[in-house]
Amino acid sequence: GGYLQSPGGFASPSGAQAEKRQRIRSQNIVPCTVSQLLAAELVDEVFRICDLEIPQVTVVGIVRHAEKAPTNILYKVDDMTAAPMDVRQWVDTDEAGSENVVIPPGTYVKVAGHLRSFQNKKSLVAFKIMPLENMNEFTTHILETVNAHMILRKNLMSASGAPPFSSTVVRDTGGYGGGGSLLVNGLTAHQSQVLNLIKSCPVPEGMSLQELKLQLHSMSMSTIKQAVEFLSSEGHIYSTVDDDHYKSTDAE
Amino acid sequence: MGDIHEVPRPRIGAGQLAQHIGKPVCFVGRVEKIHPTGKLFVLSDGVGRNTTVELSEPLDEEISGIIEVVGRVTNQATIMCVSYVQFREDKSPFDLELYNEALKIIHEFPEYFPFG
Repeated sequence: GGYLQSPGGFASPSGAQAEKRQRIRSQNIVPCTVSQLLAAELVDEVFRICDLEIPQVTVVGIVRHAEKAPTNILYKVDDMTAAPMDVRQWVDTDEAGSENVVIPPGTYVKVAGHLRSFQNKKSLVAFKIMPLENMNEFTTHILETVNAHMILRKNLMSASGAPPFSSTVVRDTGGYGGGGSLLVNGLTAHQSQVLNLIKSCPVPEGMSLQELKLQLHSMSMSTIKQAVEFLSSEGHIYSTVDDDHYKSTDAE
Repeated sequence: MGDIHEVPRPRIGAGQLAQHIGKPVCFVGRVEKIHPTGKLFVLSDGVGRNTTVELSEPLDEEISGIIEVVGRVTNQATIMCVSYVQFREDKSPFDLELYNEALKIIHEFPEYFPFG
């Protein structure tokens, strides 16, 4: 099925712009679904999902099959979004012991690795494959996948008129139980916009929800309220005269 | 295990069974009760809705806690189970409410979490 809808009204980035944005991407590890990996295309030796480079990826799924060979273990990992994907883990033949324990079928795992394509068949080469000890990491992966693809694609698509974010540096954040994921400042696009506006407000009583709504025409009041709630619970902002007015905790 | 594991199986909540009749799905819930015949059990979604899961062969083991079912939705909006797994909760309990919230997100943004 269609994995990609081009958001209306946005032009594709030009070659030079796209390259500049992609410059820092090679360090990133992007949470994905198997269906997204199957849809990725190899362009100039790099896999991309709609212009988004995915040099390293994580997937979370259940082992359906495990087969041990002398130099590698081949798993089939299933995340319900498509047929199970082949995941190969190379085995260090010099080292006997725990590295080479085969994970049994029926185990939920988190895989970190590189996408490969051979004779039109996609597979993953895993540099890390870990059984999940806490199944909430599986839920977290779902959320991180949507979040990462949404933010990264919006960054790629943003035209010059986009609101300024305080930073577009992408960094690895610790996941629920280790393993990085991709967030911009740890905030979504909406949250960043709301925070920047609140930070820019000089008056002692801070910025009101009504003022935010006036400035952020495209955002609904409920989206603004959700962003404010999140920022407040994370300690980025605090309420002043009442629950409708907020200031930033960062002195700027 | 059969063909159903080779196709996309959308993760759905109890409220979406009606839209998926006849289709393969993946459903997660907490075991509420098991029929004495072992051919039927009821899963709750943690927010008050129950779903009936039917089996072609009776259960050959006790199941409890959080179960993830792969199967097809019947005309009666029950799930005909093809396979199931139990989520481990030996180290931490599974937050079923958070999972239900994640389902809402997946359904709001299918372009960022595609099935198929």
